Amino acid sequence: MALPVSADATPAAPVRTVSARHFVRLKLRVMGNNFRGQGWRIALFVGGALLGLWFAAAGFFLFAAPGLTGNGRYAVLVAAAGGGLLVLGWLFLPLVFFGVDETLDPARFALLPLPRRTLVTGLFVAALISVPVLAVLIASFGLVLTSWSLGGWSAGLVAVVGVLAGLLLCVAASRAVTSAFATMLRSRRVRDLAAVLLAVTAALLGPLQVFGLAALREADWTRLAGVATVIGWTPLGAPWTVGIDVAQGRVWAAPVKLLITVVALGALLAWWSRSIESAMVGAASAGKAPVRRGVTGGAVAQLFPRVAAWAGRDRFGALVAREARYWWRDARRRANLITIAVVGIFVPVLINVTGGDFAFDDGAGFTAAASDSSPVVVTISMVLVGVLAAVTLANQFGFDGSAYAANVVAGVPGRVELRARMTAFSLYVLPMLGVVAVVLSFLLSRPEWIGLTIGGLVATYGAGLAVNSLISVLGAYSLPETSNPFAMNSGAGLAKGLLTLLAMLASVVAAVPMVVAAALLGDAWLWLALPVGAAYGLGAALLGAYLAGDVLDRRQPELLATVTPRR
Amino acid sequence: MTVEHPALALRGLAKRFDGTIAVAGVDLDVPAGSFYGLLGPNGAGKTTTLSMAVGLLRPDAGSAWVLGHDVWQDPVTAKRLLGVMPDGVRLFDRLTGAELLAYNGLLRGMDPAVVDQRAAELLDVLALGDAGRTLVVDYSAGMKKKIGLACALLHGPRVLVLDEPFEAVDPVSAALIRDILTRYAAGGGTVVFSSHVMEVVERLCSHVAILAGGTIKRVGTIDEVRGGRSLEQVFVEVVGGRTATGEELSWLSQ
Repeated sequence: MALPVSADATPAAPVRTVSARHFVRLKLRVMGNNFRGQGWRIALFVGGALLGLWFAAAGFFLFAAPGLTGNGRYAVLVAAAGGGLLVLGWLFLPLVFFGVDETLDPARFALLPLPRRTLVTGLFVAALISVPVLAVLIASFGLVLTSWSLGGWSAGLVAVVGVLAGLLLCVAASRAVTSAFATMLRSRRVRDLAAVLLAVTAALLGPLQVFGLAALREADWTRLAGVATVIGWTPLGAPWTVGIDVAQGRVWAAPVKLLITVVALGALLAWWSRSIESAMVGAASAGKAPVRRGVTGGAVAQLFPRVAAWAGRDRFGALVAREARYWWRDARRRANLITIAVVGIFVPVLINVTGGDFAFDDGAGFTAAASDSSPVVVTISMVLVGVLAAVTLANQFGFDGSAYAANVVAGVPGRVELRARMTAFSLYVLPMLGVVAVVLSFLLSRPEWIGLTIGGLVATYGAGLAVNSLISVLGAYSLPETSNPFAMNSGAGLAKGLLTLLAMLASVVAAVPMVVAAALLGDAWLWLALPVGAAYGLGAALLGAYLAGDVLDRRQPELLATVTPRR
Repeated sequence: MTVEHPALALRGLAKRFDGTIAVAGVDLDVPAGSFYGLLGPNGAGKTTTLSMAVGLLRPDAGSAWVLGHDVWQDPVTAKRLLGVMPDGVRLFDRLTGAELLAYNGLLRGMDPAVVDQRAAELLDVLALGDAGRTLVVDYSAGMKKKIGLACALLHGPRVLVLDEPFEAVDPVSAALIRDILTRYAAGGGTVVFSSHVMEVVERLCSHVAILAGGTIKRVGTIDEVRGGRSLEQVFVEVVGGRTATGEELSWLSQ
């Protein structure tokens, strides 16, 4: 950027224009530098790439199945449903679970004299350089194979165009949506609205799955094919079905569907470009702080929020109070709490309600569904919710970042630290879990199962806390200090995924006794589940804090170093 | 007063990151009651040295003692005597100033009533009382330094270790911080701070050490180190800087 300073006010035109190529090279360079001298990062990356390839191969054969079998009847169904799921996955998974790779943080470009169009195109093209994109590309070429074998090379060629457009749509959708939510969560004015919106968006996953599962069970393929045709005319399915349309003689559909895709893509990029602007400016100032009410009471009284008012005014109490405030005030943590609330409601509803003889056209609605659920199924679904809730703490020190230095300097004993963190998190999560248990019991019209659901939830949650405390001490990683609560460090994606998986597996194993008891003890368990589950969960959590606290005492400086972002 | 022990003693502290040596064996004795300046250019290893001295970063070799207590063998006692303000480290900045002080005080095991009283006094003296319910994340750079200093002072430490306390601070706040530190030292406390602002060091410090390339180049009382010249001259000579000749960067003049 050697812009010569000229005497007059209008700067000389840059000698060379910046193009998307520069962004791609910058991204590759940043990724490469992240790997330098970090063997384990390279190993993680290779592992992630292999995992991605495996999924890609599986997807490829799914998409290629109609072509390989030479049976064109369900080709549209496979393309529309599979492609639609791909787009939805790109839309929701980053929001709810994974976050987006922000190797190139838009805020870093705020000072460069770049037109917004250049910036957006550049960031967009750079976002295409990733393992998931490659995996989806490979998988979706199954569609090309299908189109080619059903309709010759012209259909195959159209399918290539369609698949590439679809891939662009996926990436644009995920960027636009995460960026918009990040902007909203950052703004003090609409933060709470954004939280609700996020919850509703994520909640849409539920009905979609209910629909999907019910449809599968019904197995009325002709009607499904009809639905797929409709989906094929929405941006969700349009790019994926063009090749098959050509193959099946609907050549006129191809340009229309491609147009639909391009318009959708353009709209998404325009939306993204608007929120990028606010992300760039927002990094400097997050807007004016609201005028807060006058100060009441001493400093200590101010520290303790109402949810933690019962805590003693000591070390443990201070930690609980600070954590409780952070779960509310930190956008990243709030996003996690919202996820728990949404997932907590929908996972069990899905497993239990759709586990019954639930069909769309019998008109009886949800109440007919309960017949099939059993204490074992309910307990298993509660185990899943408990595990998902507790896994939020798998990188609890990463949330703090370098601020954790204050606790190291003060020499906080590890056990106190972990017990306090568990307590503060539970202040929010336990009531949520209680609501989940009650709602589920009534949805199933089995109020006598409340003890069972709460017992299963609390036991798993407690065991999960224990497992995740240990993981949070041993496997912490730093989160980028950007204002985007969904941002991930490059290369951390797989590490995060593996750790989460490990934590969840271990928690599930720790909760197996509850499922076994539900299966073996019969009706007696309905009454025993609550006290036994509560005792089990509490005991596990305390034991976890005891053991992991010991490890933490020995590793405090190392932990601080791993959660401090590299600059 | 433990006269026989220095307030802070470092022996052979060393640290390397990814193959580059950040600190290569630092020995330092900070006498109790002194006002000690640790000088050095950017990247000299000041922050690394101080982090190892206060227990934030585990050294590859060497040890650190605070008033005779080993920071790495007996961290609880050593940390009780220490007040630390790290640089480049975030505070728990989604708390208000008062909340942050209360948190740190209770974390140190202080009596809540004492915390309340001292927090109110500190906020008042440091002119942070007006910030009210503003979160620390919304403070200006100078205010953040001041609240960091307040956190370090709150529990009445015997030794105060400050990393770059005058960085990014306006003259009014700097004067205030200087006054508070001077009073603290006059009351028998020991201050160790890193800086590359020569005037401040010359004005405040009784002792100086110059750190460059991960080793101590000069150490002693301020007069010994200066040897009749200005501190800046000594510093540039020790560190080995270069001055612009005017030939390069000619395109800067229009």
